[in-house]
Amino acid sequence: MPRGSVTGVEGALLLGNATNTYLPREVVQRISEVPGVAVASPQLYLTSMANSSCCSVSLMFMFAYDPATDFTIEPWLKDKLGRELSTGQAVGGSDVFVPEGRRTIKLYGYDFTLQGNLEPTGTNLDQTLFMTFDSAYDMEQASRTRAKMPLPILEDTVSSVMVKVSPGADRKDVAKALAAAVSGAEAVPAAEMFGSYGSQISGVLRTMLLVVVLTVVLSLALMGLVFWMAVHERRQQIGVLRALGATQSFVLLSYMIEAVVLALAGGLVGTVLASVGLYLFRNLLVSSLGFPFLFPSFGGLLALIVVGLLIALVVVAVAAFVPALRASREEPAVSMRE
Amino acid sequence: MTAVSLRGVGKTYGGASARSFAALHDIDLDIETNDFLVVTGRSGCGKTTLLNVATGLAKPTSGTVTVDGADLWGLNDAERTGLRNRTMGFVFQFPSLLPGLSIEQNVMLPLEFSHEEHADARQRARELVELVGLRERMAAYPRELSAGQQQRVVIARALINRPDLLLADEPSSDLDEETEAEIMALFSKVHAERGLTMVMVTHTRQLVAFGTRHVEMTEGALRENDDHTRTAGVVSGAAPGA
Repeated sequence: MPRGSVTGVEGALLLGNATNTYLPREVVQRISEVPGVAVASPQLYLTSMANSSCCSVSLMFMFAYDPATDFTIEPWLKDKLGRELSTGQAVGGSDVFVPEGRRTIKLYGYDFTLQGNLEPTGTNLDQTLFMTFDSAYDMEQASRTRAKMPLPILEDTVSSVMVKVSPGADRKDVAKALAAAVSGAEAVPAAEMFGSYGSQISGVLRTMLLVVVLTVVLSLALMGLVFWMAVHERRQQIGVLRALGATQSFVLLSYMIEAVVLALAGGLVGTVLASVGLYLFRNLLVSSLGFPFLFPSFGGLLALIVVGLLIALVVVAVAAFVPALRASREEPAVSMRE
Repeated sequence: MTAVSLRGVGKTYGGASARSFAALHDIDLDIETNDFLVVTGRSGCGKTTLLNVATGLAKPTSGTVTVDGADLWGLNDAERTGLRNRTMGFVFQFPSLLPGLSIEQNVMLPLEFSHEEHADARQRARELVELVGLRERMAAYPRELSAGQQQRVVIARALINRPDLLLADEPSSDLDEETEAEIMALFSKVHAERGLTMVMVTHTRQLVAFGTRHVEMTEGALRENDDHTRTAGVVSGAAPGA
């Protein structure tokens, strides 16, 4: 990729963001001749369109690849469609669709037939159209005469080149050789890409984990206090029950069952309300996060509700256990003295 | 035949601390079958502690307590609780009915803990509620009854398991004189008709007349009053068995 454009290319590859970085196309040949390079496949990230009628969001991005050399998109296409894309065909992200009443997606005066959609990713790739280089160049030609604004594609340029390393070759050595062979370009091993996004996500995850742990600890303390008060308030009743024949295990079990029922009821109300809130404000939440986030599916939400219920159950059971155990072990005469 | 036996029983609260308090000192007491033992004494003299220790509701610091031939503190909690459930009925000083249960459910409660099938549970409860004069209030809840009526329900509850031993801790202290007389008449009737062994703790000396035995407690020690029948003569209009 062009030197200094790592972040832009990372954004294009991971998020589908538009980027205006280019390399001369002739570098593809030079790269493919570098020892240790098995395949060199160029990619082109095209400028975005505003308010496209074929996309459920206001911006749409375009990603062109070379079917002859590509080893990143083609395998998926063959697996899902059973064939490659030909000129005039495209595959869209999950938010891309054929406008109602039409059979093609018209972009810059050029008609694409949509062959399929990718699974949602929570990134701008959901609003990206994937096409071959030939389609991109055809669209550029068509835009000159049929579009209000022509599509600017610099002649004989690519945005980046994906390199597949030969078996047995050292990736870092190949990267160094590539940087030496192509001036103005830098090679980044795949394992080192997306580092900034990874650390951003890790930071958010660590913060969320801390919040969850703090919430659980505070809930434990609060629930413990609530159950201690509830048990204390009923000490005399417990004493009477023990005098009448209730065993220690009966008292303990009664309180634990009460705790479980309360946890399930409270947990169910809480998790369902939280899920409804999350669902209603999902777009705001996703955009506020500022990094790729795939909102959970209905099944995923249900699983989260179950996990939430389990956490509530464990927290309340642990919090209730100590006061319940103490109440059950207390001498009936002491309990009745209250 | 001895129903309950206490030998060298002591009870100290507060452990070995400087503020420890000895509520019972080296008590020896045999309660014979069909006794109606009245324990009197001033507040804080150890009467309730004696009752609690004798029934396994509190563990003595020293000595042994035998009920029905079994050493109470040689049993584990489940065994001790089971023995209490089978052989003892309790009447407490404070309101002890569960507010969320009806009168009938409250009366049947000890049967729930007996781990035995009682097909006649409702029939038993009806008979006992009738015995205490509250047949029309079977479906009522405790809050709908007066203090005296609640105490009568407690007596019915104490009898549901057909215990050998009925223990009452200041059963009439919160009641007016008329209601107290009714409750005591009920105790006398139950004692006479069912042949129960009864122990009643009270600070009211006039109630000694209802018992067949009287012991006086003073600062954790017992003194048998062999002449208690003379004390009974003080009570007018509410003779035992009235």
